[in-house]
Amino acid sequence: MSLFGTTSGFGTSGTSMFGSTTTDNHNPMKDIEVTSSPDDSIGCLSFSPPTLPGNFLIAGSWANDVRCWEVQDSGQTIPKAQQMHTGPVLAVCWSDDGSKVFTASCDKTAKMWDLNSNQAIQIAQHDAPVKTIHWIKAPNYSCVMTGSWDKTLKFWDTRSSNPMMVLQLPERCYCADMIYPMAVVATAERGLIVYQLENQPSEFRRIESPLKHQHRCVAIFKDKQNKPTGFALGSIEGRVAIHYINPPNPAKDNFTFKCHRSNGTNTSAPQDIYAVNGIAFHPVHGTLATVGSDGRFSFWDKDARTKLKTSEQLDQPISACCFNHNGNIFAYASSYDWSKGHEFYNPQKKNYIFLRNAAEELKPRNKK
Amino acid sequence: MTICQFFLQGRCRFGERCWNEHPGAWNAGGGRQHQPSDSNRRVWNANSPRSSSVIQPSSFSRPAPWGGSREQDKSSFGSFDSGASTNRNRGVGLPQNLFASSPSTDAQRDEKKLLEGIVKDMEVWESSGQWMFSAYSPMKKKSSISGFTDISPEELRLEYHNFLTSNNLQSYLSSIQQLITQWKNRVNELKSLNTSTKIALLSDIKDGINQAAPTFGFGSSQTAAFGSPGFPVNNSMSDTAQNFSFKASSGFATAPSGSPPVFGSSPAFGAVPSASPAITTSTPIPGFGKPQVTSAASFSFKSPAASGFTSPGFSGFPAPVAAGPLGALGAPAFGSGSSVVGFGNPGSQSHTAFSKPSSDSFGNSNTSTSVPISNGSTTDNEIFTPKHQLTAEELEQFQSKKFTLGKIPLKPPPVELLNI
Repeated sequence: MSLFGTTSGFGTSGTSMFGSTTTDNHNPMKDIEVTSSPDDSIGCLSFSPPTLPGNFLIAGSWANDVRCWEVQDSGQTIPKAQQMHTGPVLAVCWSDDGSKVFTASCDKTAKMWDLNSNQAIQIAQHDAPVKTIHWIKAPNYSCVMTGSWDKTLKFWDTRSSNPMMVLQLPERCYCADMIYPMAVVATAERGLIVYQLENQPSEFRRIESPLKHQHRCVAIFKDKQNKPTGFALGSIEGRVAIHYINPPNPAKDNFTFKCHRSNGTNTSAPQDIYAVNGIAFHPVHGTLATVGSDGRFSFWDKDARTKLKTSEQLDQPISACCFNHNGNIFAYASSYDWSKGHEFYNPQKKNYIFLRNAAEELKPRNKK
Repeated sequence: MTICQFFLQGRCRFGERCWNEHPGAWNAGGGRQHQPSDSNRRVWNANSPRSSSVIQPSSFSRPAPWGGSREQDKSSFGSFDSGASTNRNRGVGLPQNLFASSPSTDAQRDEKKLLEGIVKDMEVWESSGQWMFSAYSPMKKKSSISGFTDISPEELRLEYHNFLTSNNLQSYLSSIQQLITQWKNRVNELKSLNTSTKIALLSDIKDGINQAAPTFGFGSSQTAAFGSPGFPVNNSMSDTAQNFSFKASSGFATAPSGSPPVFGSSPAFGAVPSASPAITTSTPIPGFGKPQVTSAASFSFKSPAASGFTSPGFSGFPAPVAAGPLGALGAPAFGSGSSVVGFGNPGSQSHTAFSKPSSDSFGNSNTSTSVPISNGSTTDNEIFTPKHQLTAEELEQFQSKKFTLGKIPLKPPPVELLNI
C-alpha cells in the first residue's frame, strides 16, 4: 500500500551498512533509520493518532528531550521540533485530536506540548518521577492520567494545577496502558490493578500477578468488537503473560509465554534471560510485538499462540516500540536500557530509532 | 494413643503413618476433600518416583501446577495455565518434616514442590543474567518472597545520574555493591534452603507476607544520603518509622522465643493477648516447636537487632524472614532506625494496622507478620480476619472461652470477637 518501508538507500542515510564489510550490527534488519535521533537512551515512543493526517513520531529520551519527526510515506523522516524537560523523559502520549503531546519526566512533572505553537506548559506535579502518562477521552470528561513512583495515579484537567483525582497505588507505578474504558497499571512488587474509566476512574480489580518477577511493561488488547478485553504483561524474566479480564475459562484462556531468551525454547542448557522492554499491539491485526533487552523484536499471534517472527539481534537492547495508527509502521528504539547496570553504559554509543513496514509481517496466522 | 514427641518437635518421620497421635493441626483445619489430593498425588507421582503413598488416581485432572518445566514448543508459546489457584489453601500445612522420606500429606508434597521450584528458579536466575533487583514469587498468584528488592532499571539509572551530578559516584557504587551482595546472599539462602529459611519461606507464602526487606538498600547507612531525588521508597520509609514508636514492646522483645507469633502465621496470638491468653503461655502448639527455636536464633543473630527493638521504627521483623541479606547490611542500617526495613513500601498501609489497640505488643510481633502489609494478598490490610473468612470451626474456637488444643486457629481473630 504505502511505499513506506521499501528498504532502499535513502532511508538508511549515513550508515555504513551498505556495501561495507564491517561487522557493525546496529541495524541488521536493514530498517529505516530516523534522522537526528536522540543523544541518549530512548525511553518511549509514540505515533500520532489517526486524526492527524500523516504520521508523526514522538520520542522521549534520557537526554531530557522530547523530539518530534514527521514520517513520510516514502520513509523519509524530518525532524520537526523538540522540547526539553529538566529530567529524563519517561513517557509520552498524544491527545486524541493530535494537537498536543503530553510528556512525563523524572523531574516529577508532566507537560503539555502544543505542537502548533510549540509551547509546553506544566500540567502535573508528583512527588517522584512520573513514569506513565495517558490521555483519557471519555464521553463526559477528558483528562491526563499520570502514574508515578510516588505510588499515586493522578488525573489532571490540564487547566488546573490540582489533580481532578488521586488514586493510591500499592507500590511504585512501573507501567500502564489505557484504552477507554479500561486502564491497567502494573506496579512494583508485582502489583497489578485494572481500572474502569466510565463516569470517573475507579479501581475495578486487583489482580494477582501471573508472573513471578518484576513487571516491566503492559499493553491492552481489544476483542473483535474493538473493546478492550485484556492485557499483555511483560516482566524482566523474558516472559509475557496474556490475561483476559473476564474470560469464559480463565485456566485455559490466560497463559504466559517465554520470549527474549537466548536458547529459544531449548531449556536444557542454561539460557540467558532478558527483560521484555515493551509490548505493542498492532491496531488492525491484533497481533503483538515485543522488544527486549537482548536487542531483538518479535511478533506474536496470541490467538493462534504462535510466534510470527523474530528479528536478528541488534548490538544494543531495544528499549521501546510503537505502531502507528494504521499499523503500517513499526518503530523501535535501539539504546541502552540499563539492564546490565552502569558498567555497560557507553554515553558515546549512538542511539537509533528504526522504522519498519509492519503491514505484512503482522498478519495473524490462521488458527488451526 | 500417645502423643508423638517427634511430631511435636516437628520432625516425625512417619507423618500420617505414625502410630502415635499427632495433635493434628492440618488434619482438623485442613478441611480438604480427598479429591484434589488424589489428583495431586497422581500428578506428582509422575514426577517424584519417591513417593510411596498409594492413592487411586481420580479422574479429576488438575491443570499443571507450574509451567516452569512444561513450556515447550518450537513456534508456539508453551501454553500455560494460570488459572489454577493451587496451593493456596492447604489448611495449615505446617512444615512438619520437610525431608521426610515419604512425604505423606499433600501439604508436604506441595511444599516440597514449591521449594524445589524455588531452588530451580534461583539457579536459573543466577545463571541467566537477568535483572537482579526484582521481586520474586515461587508461583504465580502467590505473594512475593521477602528478601528481594524490586528496583526498576530506570530507577537505578536515575540514581546513577543523580549521584553523578552530585559527584558522589562512590556511594552509588557502594550501594549497588551492597544490593548485589544482598541479592546474592538471598539467592544462596534460597538455594541451600536450610530449615529456618524454609520455615520462614513457607510462612511467607502462606500468609501473603510481602516484605521488601532491603528496599532501602540505597540509603542503608544514611537514609538521608540520597538527598532529595530520593529513592521514593526511602522517603516513605522514614515517614513510617516515626509513626512506629515502639513503646513498651519489651514484653515481646525480650522473649521472642516465647511468642509464637514471631513467625507470622498467627499474629493474633501476640496481637491480642487478651483474647487468647491461653496461647501465649502454652507452647505446645503443634508445629511451632521448631519455628520457635529458630526464631529465637534468628532474632539473636544480629545484635543490632536487639537494639533495634527499642529503636523507633525498627523491629526485628525482617529478621526471621530475611536473615541472610539483612546481616550483610550491618548494624547501621538497623540502628539508624529511620530506615525501616521492609516498611517503606507498605508504609501507608501499615498505619492502620498499627494504630489498632494493644499497639505496644504489635510493635514487635506484628511487624513480623505484617499481614497488613502484603501487597499481593487478597485479604484486607488488617490484622484481624473478617468473620466471613473463618471456617465454622475457627469461629467456634474464637468464641469459646479457651482454645482447644489441636484446634487452635492460625488466623487472627476477627475484630468483632475481641474484648479489650
